[in-house]
Amino acid sequence: MNESMLCTKTHEYLLEQDKNKYEVGITDYAIEQLGDIVFVELPEVGTEFSKNEAFATIESVKAASEIYMPISGKVVEINEQIVNSPELLNDENFDDKWFVKIESSADQVEFADLLDYSDYKEEIE
Amino acid sequence: MTKQTFLHDKHIALGARMVDFAGWDMPVQYSSIIEEHKTVRESVGLFDVSHMGEMIVYGEDALPFLNKLVPQDLKKLVDLKAVYCQLTNKNGGIIDDLIIYKLEDNKYLIIANASRIDEDLNWMVRNKLGFNVEIVNESHNYSLLAVQGPKACDLIKSLGLDDLPPFFTIKRATLFNINLWVSRTGYTGEDGVEILVKNEFSEYLWDKLLETGKPFGIKPIGLGARDTLRLEAALHLYGNDLDENTTPVEAGLAWSVAKDKTEDYNGKKKIMEQINIGVEKKLIGLKMLDKNIARHGYDVYYNGEKIGVITSGGISPVRGDNIALAYIKNLDNLAVGSTIQVMIREKLHNAEIVKRPFVKKNNKG
Repeated sequence: MNESMLCTKTHEYLLEQDKNKYEVGITDYAIEQLGDIVFVELPEVGTEFSKNEAFATIESVKAASEIYMPISGKVVEINEQIVNSPELLNDENFDDKWFVKIESSADQVEFADLLDYSDYKEEIE
Repeated sequence: MTKQTFLHDKHIALGARMVDFAGWDMPVQYSSIIEEHKTVRESVGLFDVSHMGEMIVYGEDALPFLNKLVPQDLKKLVDLKAVYCQLTNKNGGIIDDLIIYKLEDNKYLIIANASRIDEDLNWMVRNKLGFNVEIVNESHNYSLLAVQGPKACDLIKSLGLDDLPPFFTIKRATLFNINLWVSRTGYTGEDGVEILVKNEFSEYLWDKLLETGKPFGIKPIGLGARDTLRLEAALHLYGNDLDENTTPVEAGLAWSVAKDKTEDYNGKKKIMEQINIGVEKKLIGLKMLDKNIARHGYDVYYNGEKIGVITSGGISPVRGDNIALAYIKNLDNLAVGSTIQVMIREKLHNAEIVKRPFVKKNNKG
């Protein structure tokens, strides 16, 4: 977990990389809760999503879950590694757990309900 | 309120993640479902399945009474032998699937699904008129521990029980000075035993099995792996693959119907008609032809037409692909090797009909 992450109550994170460029994934807590991850489906590069729209599917042994966009944006890169080897998400020594990178021109309104790292930690404790 | 087995504290101490299952707070996993699954396929696992029901039926009419309730022929059962069977309704639908043991003349033990104990008891009482029998629910007095895997029997033998009961047989035994019942049964497709023990001894037995099982590689196994193990073995799960609108013949369980049974039983007309003429829907095994996972409730298609539904589906840790059980229309042109489709998130994904079980069983069944 990175202290500059913004998180959702549904356990996605958003991490700013550059101006208007963000990395999106799910929190370590979400991964821990899911247990063994066996399937990841990501959108095609170029797809545009609105805030809170489902953009990916992740499946544990027990169930399938949808992953939602923390803010609106256009997918510019996807993490093929976790599609090809979903179990990497459970590997503590693997750091590249992001799902997609997006370009976004979201305004402040879209950020209003995102939690900063310390608030998120409180939320899950 | 959620019920707890007598081993609940043990599960918490072992760091299990607990979930509600049929009204019981049960361990779904201790470490990882896939790791636990492999432990059972490669060495030995210990399961708390104390939520399951135990009933005793006894009295001079115990045999004719039970024989009226199930398609198996219990006349053929000798002392301490068990059969897998179903409690069927008048239409042949399955009220529950059970293991019935003959303990002695006029006395039988029934092991039932936790979620169906009340329905089973109600149904038995409704059918009791005219029979001289007593039905006693012992579920709250007994714990059930399953020891399963290729090293399960070595472990039990090492505890001094040299002559293990044969497959689908039960015997009285003493382990760690505790009197208990050991049955050569399970729900994993592996060899192993299930141990029926009075509640007050279950914690001690659990600890002792984990301790003495260490050299055999024993690990506690949660309900998550129990589900993936039984799916690989293509063993039905009540509520998913079996229900009151499905007959044993449709469920691929015609082998557990005694075709030569002379006595009448609930649903016999329908069941024998299906055996002689055929069924409209049938259970099949599927393997997905891509990485997608078929799950309970997903629709099954053939030539653009909906022909059925997935009742159990998931990963196969041993095969490394994704497998499922489904009920489909009994179409003549569909057989093992045929390709059909599963609707997953609004897209059709190819799947092939394959033989069941998905993984070769390693018990004596």
